[in-house]
Amino acid sequence: MSDKQNTIRDFIAEGFQQGWKHLDASRLTSDQTLEADVVIIGSGAGGGSSAEILAQSGLNVIIVEEGPLQTSRDFHMKEDEAYANLYQESAGRQTKDRGIKIFQGRMVGGGTGISWTTCFRTPSTTLKFWADEMGVKGFSENEMRPWFEWAEKRYNIQQWKVPPNANNSTLEIGCEKLGVSWGKISRNVTGCINLGYCGTGCPVNAKQSTLVTTIPGALEEGATLISKARAEKFEINNGKITELKCRAMTPRGNAPAVQTIKIKARHYVLAAGSIGSPAILLRSENKILNPNGLVGTRTFLHPVNISGAIMPFLVKGEYGAPQTSYSDHFIETRLDNQKPGFILECPPLQPMLMATALDGHGKFHAEIMRQRPFLQVLIALQRDGFHQESVGGNVYLKSDGTPGLDYPVSKYVWEGIRDAFIAMSEIQFAAGAKTVAPVHRDAGLYHNIKEVKKAIAVLPMETLKARLFSAHVMGGCPMGEDSAKSVVNSKGHHHEVENLSVFDGSVFPTSIAANPMESIFAATAKFATELAKNMVN
Amino acid sequence: MLTRRNLFKLGAVSGVTLLAIETFHASPEIPPAPDGLGHSFEILTPEDRGVLSKLTPVILAEALPESTEDRELAVKEVIVGWDIAVSGLPPLTQHEIRKLFSVLDSNFMLSLTPRLLTGVPGAWDDPSEIEFFLNTWRLSDPESLLTGNELRVGYMGMVEITMASWYANKRSWDFCGYAGPPVLY
Repeated sequence: MSDKQNTIRDFIAEGFQQGWKHLDASRLTSDQTLEADVVIIGSGAGGGSSAEILAQSGLNVIIVEEGPLQTSRDFHMKEDEAYANLYQESAGRQTKDRGIKIFQGRMVGGGTGISWTTCFRTPSTTLKFWADEMGVKGFSENEMRPWFEWAEKRYNIQQWKVPPNANNSTLEIGCEKLGVSWGKISRNVTGCINLGYCGTGCPVNAKQSTLVTTIPGALEEGATLISKARAEKFEINNGKITELKCRAMTPRGNAPAVQTIKIKARHYVLAAGSIGSPAILLRSENKILNPNGLVGTRTFLHPVNISGAIMPFLVKGEYGAPQTSYSDHFIETRLDNQKPGFILECPPLQPMLMATALDGHGKFHAEIMRQRPFLQVLIALQRDGFHQESVGGNVYLKSDGTPGLDYPVSKYVWEGIRDAFIAMSEIQFAAGAKTVAPVHRDAGLYHNIKEVKKAIAVLPMETLKARLFSAHVMGGCPMGEDSAKSVVNSKGHHHEVENLSVFDGSVFPTSIAANPMESIFAATAKFATELAKNMVN
Repeated sequence: MLTRRNLFKLGAVSGVTLLAIETFHASPEIPPAPDGLGHSFEILTPEDRGVLSKLTPVILAEALPESTEDRELAVKEVIVGWDIAVSGLPPLTQHEIRKLFSVLDSNFMLSLTPRLLTGVPGAWDDPSEIEFFLNTWRLSDPESLLTGNELRVGYMGMVEITMASWYANKRSWDFCGYAGPPVLY
């Protein structure tokens, strides 16, 4: 037994030893049929919140998760291990044309397990757009306030008061010098010791992911967790879902096994995220689930581009809370949508993540890696979905039935990406950068703002040239009151199938324009509370 | 319909008709596979490993240790890391990586066509030729009429897995100034 196991209490592992119900589907030797009041597909921000609320109201809940059950003792702050075990497609998921790399969690805890713990309430401008333009009801700032407060209490979301690491303080300093507004980020942590390894799974149970909060809350009420099981499709009869078909995954988890699990329930809740939830509806191949062909459409990514800077001081951005400072200046000043807005943040800078995000190889790449401790990195997240030339992507099924996302970046969004390269380099030079490197196939290292701006002005803003990323997948089952324009109503209920709800970020009709986790907590808590009331009565 | 992708396939098929010419064309010798340090390979064939043993030093350049002995060990470990990483990917992605290697490894029927189309090196022993090949793929047009985005995507895949394998390895951490994960207790 290692020292770590002796000193850090893994109360989640203890809970399972003391009788929480868990089935690791990869160990099944025969097919299973199970029954419940509610089956929830997914255990992330939406699935976790829903599971606890429904279980606490006395309903018999089964949670199905494709990823593994791992707990703090399994999180060793090793990048290769974490990306392989805790992320969709080993953190190598990409859009159809390979232009955008997508980081999505796949574990008990979903995205909340590997999230960098950044929390924002849904911006009021986003909520207003949903009400005015997208036909959403009940999502005004006043109506949502109690649900944000619920999320902040349940997941202990608080302003982070510890001084930022040098990666984040550089963002603050650069913004300050330029008169660009910036702010401090709130985080969902309890007793955080400021390690900086949120992205590889929290080894000290400080991060208040669903893995350590609402999933245990549901299990405590008698819910059953099934891990390493892929929900494949719904069976429909007379306009109602009669059964969910799941397939066990192999022990390694990268491929399906032969054993199946059938689950019959009174109600079915999709919470598999904005690629996973539409995929299950598409695989079910039933017109009633997708009467207007809208399933999988309007899927948003907050496409992210990156700017690296060599600073004259040590940054060591691998240590310390990864995201503590941000600027929404370029959201707030662009609400007229003439040009797309973007939010500026920092990523953690562990070497594997960094080395794979840069373009190029050989001497150029090695030289940047040699200077890695001095490297400061900014990321810009585009506010997609608020303009007719920003309609997001479409989820589709590949030849083996697994989902892909076709997300062509429009000219309009590319201009936002170009502006973001300029804004990031200005902040970095204002904060004292020696050189700045926009992460783009055709870019080099630039020594002053004049030089970099001249270069960015002519860099081709094209797929596979500018390197793009996403850690926020939203939309795909948009909500709204008009059944011709949306998949679910403003309560997350499917317009056509009465025993089906979608309780995750796929209901958002645009991107959030801020890190979406708290928005998912709040919206799904609102949905699940109402569903619980209806089901118990 | 003659889409870009079909055109690429057509190119590969016409390789068969070029077989006669091919027999007169010196095939690139696939380098021998380095030893696997006791790892039993699930995905990579000896040919794949031979090719990677030549690609890796060019991709990582100065990031590899200086002494020949350390350098060779590092390359072997990078290749083992490749195999472990790819064996955990979804089956469809594994299939794509197999296709990539089928172009890189080709020393028989397909060699002429991919080389004409793609610039896969004629000789794996010349680092400058490998560098030229990598840059051809890196800078290839993602909208190419003949090959679509496949060369650019292939380049990104090769480089990314190589970088991931090396920078996950403790032996790279001195070079990039990383002290490793904090020791908790």
